[in-house]
Amino acid sequence: MEALALKLMSAVPALAGVPLWAMTLLVMVVVAVILLVFALTFGGLGSYVLRKVAGDIQVRIGPNRVGPYGLLQFLADGVKLIMKEDIIPAKADRFLFALAPYLVFVGSFAAFVVVPFGVGLIASDLNIGVYYVMAVTSLVVIGVLMAGWASNNKWALLGGMRAVAQIVSYEIPVGMALLPAVLIAGSLSLQDIVRSQGGLLGIFGWNLFHNPFTFFSFFLYFTAAQAETNQTPFDLPEAESELVSGYNVEYSGIRYAFFFLAEFGDMFVVAALASACFLGGWHVPFFRAETLPGAWGNLLSLGAFLVKAFGIVLVMMWVRWTLPRLRVDQLMRMSWKYLVPLTFVNLLGVSLWLLVFRGKGIPQLIASIF
Amino acid sequence: MTRPTEALHTQEMLINMGPQHPSTHGVLRVLLRTDGEVVVNARPDIGYLHRGLEKIGERVTYAQFMPFTDRLDYLAGMNCNCAWAWAVEKLAGIEVPERAEYIRVIVSELNRISSHLIAFGSFTADMGAFTPFLYSIREREVVNDLFEMVCGNRLTYNYARVGGVSADLPQGFLEKTKEFLDYFEPKIDEYNNLISYNKIFVHRLANVAVISAKDAVGYGLTGPNLRGSGVKFDLRKDEPYSVYPKLEFDVCVGTGERGALGDCFDRYMVRINEMRQSIRILRQAVAQIPEGPVMAKVPRLFKPAAGEVYFRSECPRGETGFYIISDGTTNPSRLKIRTGSFVTMNIFETVTKGLMIADIVAVIGSFDIILPEIDR
Amino acid sequence: MNGDGMGLREYINDIVEAVVTTAKGMRITARYGVDAKEEVTQQYPEVRREPEERFRGFLRNDIARCTSCTMCVKVCPVDCISLESVRGADKKMVLVSYDINIGRCMYCGLCVEVCPPKSLTHTAGYEMAMFERGEMVLHFVQEEGGEIKARVAKQVAEAAAKAAEAAKAAEAAKAAEAAKPAEAAKPVGLPAANPAPKEDLSAEAPGGSKADPEKKA
Ligand code: SF4
Ligand code: SF4
Repeated sequence: MEALALKLMSAVPALAGVPLWAMTLLVMVVVAVILLVFALTFGGLGSYVLRKVAGDIQVRIGPNRVGPYGLLQFLADGVKLIMKEDIIPAKADRFLFALAPYLVFVGSFAAFVVVPFGVGLIASDLNIGVYYVMAVTSLVVIGVLMAGWASNNKWALLGGMRAVAQIVSYEIPVGMALLPAVLIAGSLSLQDIVRSQGGLLGIFGWNLFHNPFTFFSFFLYFTAAQAETNQTPFDLPEAESELVSGYNVEYSGIRYAFFFLAEFGDMFVVAALASACFLGGWHVPFFRAETLPGAWGNLLSLGAFLVKAFGIVLVMMWVRWTLPRLRVDQLMRMSWKYLVPLTFVNLLGVSLWLLVFRGKGIPQLIASIF
Repeated sequence: MTRPTEALHTQEMLINMGPQHPSTHGVLRVLLRTDGEVVVNARPDIGYLHRGLEKIGERVTYAQFMPFTDRLDYLAGMNCNCAWAWAVEKLAGIEVPERAEYIRVIVSELNRISSHLIAFGSFTADMGAFTPFLYSIREREVVNDLFEMVCGNRLTYNYARVGGVSADLPQGFLEKTKEFLDYFEPKIDEYNNLISYNKIFVHRLANVAVISAKDAVGYGLTGPNLRGSGVKFDLRKDEPYSVYPKLEFDVCVGTGERGALGDCFDRYMVRINEMRQSIRILRQAVAQIPEGPVMAKVPRLFKPAAGEVYFRSECPRGETGFYIISDGTTNPSRLKIRTGSFVTMNIFETVTKGLMIADIVAVIGSFDIILPEIDR
Repeated sequence: MNGDGMGLREYINDIVEAVVTTAKGMRITARYGVDAKEEVTQQYPEVRREPEERFRGFLRNDIARCTSCTMCVKVCPVDCISLESVRGADKKMVLVSYDINIGRCMYCGLCVEVCPPKSLTHTAGYEMAMFERGEMVLHFVQEEGGEIKARVAKQVAEAAAKAAEAAKAAEAAKAAEAAKPAEAAKPVGLPAANPAPKEDLSAEAPGGSKADPEKKA
């Protein structure tokens, strides 16, 4: 941030008089607002796409009344949610009840900070990026448990408990499945991980094709992440047909909207991590975006990244509208008996691979033959 | 060293599931006593939809009761219509023209398909997969169109009459039925591929709420719930009525293919297979249906002789039986209705012990209960 | 994911089966998702499905033909038809009021079936909304009940007075009687409470198309 502020000050002479700290703060706020707007827009449009995908799959049409093709549906929904009466149940724990949705939203929004949107387009290239994401998304757990507890509703409590059990146990396979990418790049920074996947026609540098283990790792990550974001078949915390609506059953109006946005924020973060760690992040296939002059490289890489991330989000929705839901014990069994061992084996495999082939992936090996 | 079980103080939780709950299939209330997610006891509380149908039956004439049978099982109105007509005809000894009987069988089997479609769809929706539900609704809509064509209504048909049916089949109905059957038959395979054999779905259902054949008979289960436990009993075969003896079909029973015999999956599969059998029956009935009148001569002021009768027929949710006592007047003197769903609720508390909350939903779905039938 | 102490083979089988069945299901949903032709939704207010010929919509009584026989009242299982009639000068019944409480009617069609002159019929209408439950009554006789009664009473009295003049007077009363239903038939086309959506639409459509060229000009 400071570097950016310095650059700006040296580039624009008029700003030279502004103290550095103020400039840095300004840049920070601007970046945060951009990210927030992105997150909100994604939440809104995401809900539209989710419903459209549902409509298409379920031989329906989906939203088509507000605006062209129903594109403004999310605005209408947003307005509706804001106008709704904000109900706090009489026996709820008012403080926790009010706090929970914001905590959940902060948890998912904070992860946006390290999402590598493109060449140089990252709010903060933390050197512990992956670690940071894992840590900060755990905040969601506390918010969800708070919401479930504070609602003073048994369904909500059950939903909250399920959510905590689920997110905590799936944190492990998620982390384990991401580690291969970290091992290959030798860094926890997401930008470094993305950079490590360049070259080789842009596609074959991807970690996905690095070796068989990373290939499986991607799918393991996808599955576990689906669970971490409470998507079907792992949507137990809100299991509509069992728990009515789970931990957010008592919420209405703007507070509900925050849960909703957090859910979509989570979805995007997961998709972004998947594309950054396995699908080459902002690398454009068959092209080197970094070499483009000026802002074009940034924009092109941003586009490539978003296309990949949205593609994954789309697949998540597709899965969501296909599969039934697991039961709680099956969910746990799936994590501890299937995903955790498999990710461990995978990690071991990747480590051995890197040891044996000196960090080279299959495409590189093939390329080195010629 | 204290054992953790002694140190930990746990409490059972009493949860009220319903009467407004997305997957109790109506206004069923289940009192859940749970230990965390594990259900210690689940006691169904019924009666929220009681309309006093049996009492109404005593206040209206035999013909007037027909529209009320639509409301007995609103997903299978045709079956209930016909069951009532058959019961009264048995009471009064009325001979029904053969064409009318064929028409009744055709609409009953069509209704069985549409009812099982809803059972299938809502069950999968309960299990968290919403898409198959909409597919099943799409197919059911075609059946509803057919019914609208034949009787003018899409849900409350009031089609059968004592002595026949209210109107002959309209032009083109049989062709459209055949079209529907050709369209529908491959869809069943699609359902199976989409969800029936899905690993998660199978795991949710297999070995859940196993009912042994002995228990099933002991608790008086009927219909697919009984057959799901492997008991080969179908009133259409074992106590044949109407023109069913002339039609060939198999009685589907549970096989325990994915778990223990009599689990939720078996009950589910029985319904899926029964749709195939209904298609088979329909194809034969459509081919065999004779020409002729559709209404027997029944006096307008219909007064059956004093006496009593019990007639039961195979409805989608099990045996629907009417016990009528006539005192020679225009109204039944006493009417008792036996419905499949109501009897099924008996076993609910027994089989749900020790299951998880999510399984309760599966059990309700696999029983395919419908509340107006339970509360009447 | 079932049973403990499974072998490695079952373990792998389990995973393979889960992946295969999921893929199968996703192929089906993808096919529907991509194929736009599979959409079955009809956009209701714009696209209307024509009800079938036998459709049992709102009831309608052509009171010109109704003989006040009360068959429909007797057969209705929920007692939603109420009918009042007086005996006219020519010994025929004259309808004073004929109301159907459509809030209670279940569209079973029994009344239509029994109506001897077939004056009671189902329309294809199924759209209606009102603010209060009390409004859910279709009135088929437009004229004030009291007026009819008074008029009929007058006619009956006249007829009685002219009974002495027998043939001539009776002839005249009959003529008056014959004229009355003819004038009554006009406003009856559709009952007052029925918003008659169909007519509204058809009335709007030509109006709209007329308005367009004007706007352009
Ligand atoms: S349709 Fe049925 S309920 Fe309605 S008025 Fe006629 S007989 Fe009564
Ligand atoms: S049955 Fe027909 S003719 Fe008789 S009163 Fe009713 S509507 Fe009039």
